[in-house]
Amino acid sequence: MQRRQLLKNIAGASTCIGASSLLMSVPFAVNAKIVNKNQIDPLANIKTSFADALKDNPSLLGLKNTANNFAHQQLTIEGKLPKDLTGVFYRNGPAKYEQGNQRYSHQFEGDGMINSFTFANGNIVHQGKFVETTKFVQEQQQNKFLYSGPLSDIKNSRKVTQADTVNTANINVIPVDDEIWALWESGSATALDATTLATKRRVNLGANSQYGDKLKGLAFSAHPKIEANGDIWNFGLSLSGHVALYQLSSKGLMKNVGIINARYRGKMLHDFLITHKHILLILPSLTSQADRSHSNLKLFASIEYDSKQPMRVLVIDKQTLTLKKQYELDAGFAFHFGNAWEENDGTIHFDASINDNFKVMDELSEIMSGTAKNLDQNSPHTALFTLKPNGGTTKVVVDGDSEFPRVYDHLVGQRNKTLYTLSHTQSQFWRDTVCCLNMDSGKKDTFIYGDEFIAEEHIIISNTAKEGDGYLLGTALHIPSKRTCLNIFSANNLKGGPICRAWLPYHLPLGLHGNFKAS
Amino acid sequence: MKTLFIAIMTTSMLLTSTHALANNVTFIIDDIKSDQGKVYVQLFQGEKNYQANNAYLSSIAIAKKGQITITFNNLEDNDYGIRYFHDENDNSAMETNLFGMPIEGYGYSNSAKANYGPVEYQAIKFQVADAAVTNRSTINY
Ligand SMILES: [Fe+2]
Repeated sequence: MQRRQLLKNIAGASTCIGASSLLMSVPFAVNAKIVNKNQIDPLANIKTSFADALKDNPSLLGLKNTANNFAHQQLTIEGKLPKDLTGVFYRNGPAKYEQGNQRYSHQFEGDGMINSFTFANGNIVHQGKFVETTKFVQEQQQNKFLYSGPLSDIKNSRKVTQADTVNTANINVIPVDDEIWALWESGSATALDATTLATKRRVNLGANSQYGDKLKGLAFSAHPKIEANGDIWNFGLSLSGHVALYQLSSKGLMKNVGIINARYRGKMLHDFLITHKHILLILPSLTSQADRSHSNLKLFASIEYDSKQPMRVLVIDKQTLTLKKQYELDAGFAFHFGNAWEENDGTIHFDASINDNFKVMDELSEIMSGTAKNLDQNSPHTALFTLKPNGGTTKVVVDGDSEFPRVYDHLVGQRNKTLYTLSHTQSQFWRDTVCCLNMDSGKKDTFIYGDEFIAEEHIIISNTAKEGDGYLLGTALHIPSKRTCLNIFSANNLKGGPICRAWLPYHLPLGLHGNFKAS
Repeated sequence: MKTLFIAIMTTSMLLTSTHALANNVTFIIDDIKSDQGKVYVQLFQGEKNYQANNAYLSSIAIAKKGQITITFNNLEDNDYGIRYFHDENDNSAMETNLFGMPIEGYGYSNSAKANYGPVEYQAIKFQVADAAVTNRSTINY
């Protein structure tokens, strides 16, 4: 079966199978329950299948449904906790995958949970709380899914009148002024209390600005770029193929908004980049079938990878928010980019964790039923691109796989010499290695956790504006002991291993992205 | 002659009013969130007119928190659909965000709701034929 076809079959299953089962269930009333369980509701099958798979494969632990919030819990520290590391490390990711007897068919559909690790007084204290989106609150009250997601089909779904109706706030979290914002990519940000993690409101991007309510409900993507001066840059994709561009102050006040008609049909755009002068929208080689409202295809299943469609780079002026130049690159798909910077002559450099297919979307669906075979085969790799003022481009592929690229905060949009990523070494399934790539020498400084661990995104924390200073910080799930640990490395010596490791007595759901708010 | 004219007029009025009583539409909107501004209501006859944005009748009601009722009288036998919005800031236009999505309350007859796309006429239409009709809708904000 073609992988693209797989997603479509999952999305269409309830209508196809539903009709025939209905006919069967009348004369064979005794079998109704079995028919119901095995055929009518694919989401119930996914739940059963995952539970079975988990028995044989304990590494699926991190994708178990999370039922409740996590209360405050002090971590057990091994090694020496650096004294200059104070603040809060926030992480976000899907955690609520199941309601009743149903389990979502894609990892990205799970409701978001914020996990915070507070570093103070020589201790680290964790807490975890679900983002109380309107969707989450309604579904929790009824203990069932009420809305069809981008892939899962919920029978008698309530109507999705706007994207925020199904906002799960599950991708990233950034500190903004004295709040934190939980980010999704198809709708509004959600503001939370930075201390209690209590949900405060859906962010109205234009509030207290000249834009008023004009930005209400617009998509605010999950990978904002925060410049050294504190300005927050971001974009939001409309399904029409238009992209809104935002410049906000560090306090979250909207300063400037522009709209570009990117004529992008891919319907999914996850990340972007800035240089000191420009915004780069890098449009992967995705396209989509006919307008979703006129077909039964779910959003995720309607997106196709087209190897004949070049990736496009739109270079947008940061002052005027207007399109200045376009480049075409080899076909490709990337969720994430590390950084971009620009030379005096206008030459632009950027990196991408790139792939020549979109199979990851199917794998993140298969993984929900515990049926994915391996995840390393299609893992992306780092590619370094150069865009020349004369229109020419170059691409250099770095050996080995890589994802979750990060650079020093003070270098966002400026020349970076180091790039921190995750990759696979011993494990065919999960990422188990952290790596620092020196972009000048090509040398790598790596630490292999090994296949007993699942390493998550690692971020750089530094009190200085000098690459190599500070720490690399990230969570990892230790499979045999079913616990999550926090790992602190010297940023310039990953191979030396963590200088400090702090353990929770239990595991957390595997998450996506996070950031640190120093204090 | 004058008497006759009055007689004819009276008869025709009677006939008209009898017919009008039968073909009245009472449209009830629930969950209006404030007394601010007005509610603009448009009645469309048939799918073509709906798509062409060509209203058969329009009505403007003063907004009232909770429920308001609008009536359309004396309609021809046909199918109809209703669309409305709550012009809370009283600027005579439905406010939309920069992507064109409504940011003021709106709704449709049959309480039809958009679902990952626009609302089709089929979802909002109702028949009017020789009987009074009541149709309800809950506003979406
Ligand atoms: Fe991401």
